Amino acid sequence: MDRDNGGTGLSRRELLVRAGAGTIVLTAPGLLEACGGGSERRTLSPTPPSADEWRQFAGTTLNFISENTAPTSAIAANLKPFRDLTGINVKISQLELSALVQKVALDFASGIGSYHVVYADPYQVLAPYHSALAELNQFNDDPNLPKVTDLRDFIPTQLDAAGKFVNRQTLYTLPYDAPTLIWMYRKDIFAKYRKRMQDDLGFDPIPNDNSTWEQFYAISKWIRKNARADVPYGSGHQAKQHDSLMNDFSNVLWAYGGDYFRNGNDVGRYGSDDPGEPLLDTPESIAGADMYNKLVSIAHPGSKGWDWTGLAEAFQAGQVAMMAEWHEFASAFETGKLAGKVGYARLPRGPRRSANMYGGTGIGVNGVAPEREQKAAWLFVNWATSPKTQLANLKSKVGGGTPTRESIYKLPEVERARKPPSSMPNVLTTNAVFEAWQPNNIGLRPKIAAWNECDTVIFTELSKMLAGSQSPQSCMKNAKKGFEAAIDRAAALRRQ
Amino acid sequence: MSVTAEAAAARAPVTREPTRRRLPFEIKMLAPALLVLAAVSLFPFFYIIAMSLSQVKLIGGISFNWAALDNWSRLFGDGAVWASWVRSIVYFIATVGLELFLGVTIALAIHEAKRGRNILISVVLMPMFMAPVIVGLLGRFLTDSTYGLYAWILRSLHLYTGDILGTKTAAFAAVTLMDVWEWTPLIALIVLAGLASLPRSVLEAAAVDGASYWGRLRYIVVPMLGGVLIVALLIRSMDALRYFDIITNTTNGGPADATKIVPIRLYETAFRFFDLGYAAAIGLSMLFVTILIANGFMRVMKARGLAR
Repeated sequence: MDRDNGGTGLSRRELLVRAGAGTIVLTAPGLLEACGGGSERRTLSPTPPSADEWRQFAGTTLNFISENTAPTSAIAANLKPFRDLTGINVKISQLELSALVQKVALDFASGIGSYHVVYADPYQVLAPYHSALAELNQFNDDPNLPKVTDLRDFIPTQLDAAGKFVNRQTLYTLPYDAPTLIWMYRKDIFAKYRKRMQDDLGFDPIPNDNSTWEQFYAISKWIRKNARADVPYGSGHQAKQHDSLMNDFSNVLWAYGGDYFRNGNDVGRYGSDDPGEPLLDTPESIAGADMYNKLVSIAHPGSKGWDWTGLAEAFQAGQVAMMAEWHEFASAFETGKLAGKVGYARLPRGPRRSANMYGGTGIGVNGVAPEREQKAAWLFVNWATSPKTQLANLKSKVGGGTPTRESIYKLPEVERARKPPSSMPNVLTTNAVFEAWQPNNIGLRPKIAAWNECDTVIFTELSKMLAGSQSPQSCMKNAKKGFEAAIDRAAALRRQ
Repeated sequence: MSVTAEAAAARAPVTREPTRRRLPFEIKMLAPALLVLAAVSLFPFFYIIAMSLSQVKLIGGISFNWAALDNWSRLFGDGAVWASWVRSIVYFIATVGLELFLGVTIALAIHEAKRGRNILISVVLMPMFMAPVIVGLLGRFLTDSTYGLYAWILRSLHLYTGDILGTKTAAFAAVTLMDVWEWTPLIALIVLAGLASLPRSVLEAAAVDGASYWGRLRYIVVPMLGGVLIVALLIRSMDALRYFDIITNTTNGGPADATKIVPIRLYETAFRFFDLGYAAAIGLSMLFVTILIANGFMRVMKARGLAR
């Protein structure tokens, strides 16, 4: 029944549309079977879609605002399955993250809800603006709307980190992508110099569970000195005065036992309204800053001007032999001239642990939008994070997604793609990222309302340290002061 | 008419036509445009003043909470903002000074050219027609330490081996030069127009009297171009204070805040931290400084009889 006309019956046009949709939905599984691979597809199919559930908002147009990331590029290139399933048109805007945050915040403030589906970065959108996002539980519990296919299939840390804020029962987003910083290195160069490095340095340079940041430093220095014919610098960093610097540094900070706040893991995983006193001036945090300063001092000099893209370009251009980089860049490396030459591993350990910055994001529904559009947006959120769509993204020629569901990685065709040459290059990083996503290895930055300002404080102070304007100790003390001021301001604003 | 009647008429109170103060014709003609202008500029102006006196909350629609002078007192005590002002002033002097020097030099050279002047003018003006954001992207590309042409040239000549946008002084110099590259042609164009309007007879008389090129330049050309130069400086000064696009696309204020001039800090405060009340105070301080500088130039122009 048409919910919007009070059940007064269907127009002829609507009847034809629904009949067509029903036909597509009913025949689609059969067609897929006919194309082969039936058994795998059966495991991927969501709860058998009823035409009524998925077609009830046919004709609606949704606006999806996203960072310019791989899964969105893949979806944008192939929206037909969603349009066929629901009759909903989706317009996608892809932006650089800071531009996205700005547009989303202004949209929330306008009260109009122009962007129905929001790429909600947990730290820059979810934490400060969670109250403007719709709670997804209401849609998932609505008997008239399709439910998420197996919520437990999402990797647990990611479901919490990307989807929740403080309240552990309320879900604001579904995990959409999962870029994670891992150790990428030139296998060919490491293989060529392995023996010599081992003899000179006294340890096996090939990344393993026991590799440390001190060893990373030693390898970088050794390559710079002895392997210039193959690569000018041993390592590179994303140490531009930018969000990338905070990401790159945090791995070392956590590895050395430092942290941003006392319950760092909880503040990162679930978020906090009151994170307490910053811990940036503890001896462990200062040791982390000191080590990071040391690492950058011998890295490629371009490091201080590179964000993640600049660093990836330098790696691809053969300027550096290793780096900490987002794992989704694997698809670019494995399809370029470095195909088959890149190794992937969990990041090195410090005295405390190995920490690997998680940069995943969820997509949510704009709570400011009209109710009908929110429900239509839910269909898109549900579809875009479904196993079937995630697998399609992973295979996409234009994207190369980073699935957030465990079941995807267990599919036989994905298992097979773990070894090069792979038709799904991002899957080559599976071992490294699964190690990185272990609760004791994952690196979760604080999910707090003041994070945008705290992030700027830490990467600005670090940039000053790397430029030689201040010592690691002053850097961390100043960063702590900046954190305190930002948190106080956010708290004052919340009290109003 | 009798004398009595004339006397009575003289005693009678003079009844004048009530004088209606009429708006001058030109004001009437301008009124619609002035009203529109007032709506689009005065309303935001007062709105921003109100913001600067409030804490602004975005969620659930914009709401203002009275904060009195909190944002202003924070502004005057914020060392980071003062540091940005110092950088802005250094940047302002460097860009406007270089653009003036190079613009005048280029204009004089083109003015003296006997052939191909039109082609020269077209080539010189080209950078000015590019959007600043494109200049920023181009600058980042050319100075990139991996594939940048300028970085490669400097490295090959052993003039600079570090990362141009990764070190404080080099980054500041780079963003300054990018702005100089784009806007020197504007100064050159304005000066060229001024040179074309100089009375030829005076210059020829000086030449006949044996004045050298430098003598004519110093004692005749430059003094006569004074008004034109001040207008050119006024235009560029207003722009230099609002410099934003190129820095955003190259250094984003870094490294170590070396290129974080006031507009970058304003943008960061407004659209990254969404601290709109404080951002409004920073914005108004920029407006105040801009008005001060414009007034300074206007005074000079008035003193020279170039403006009323």
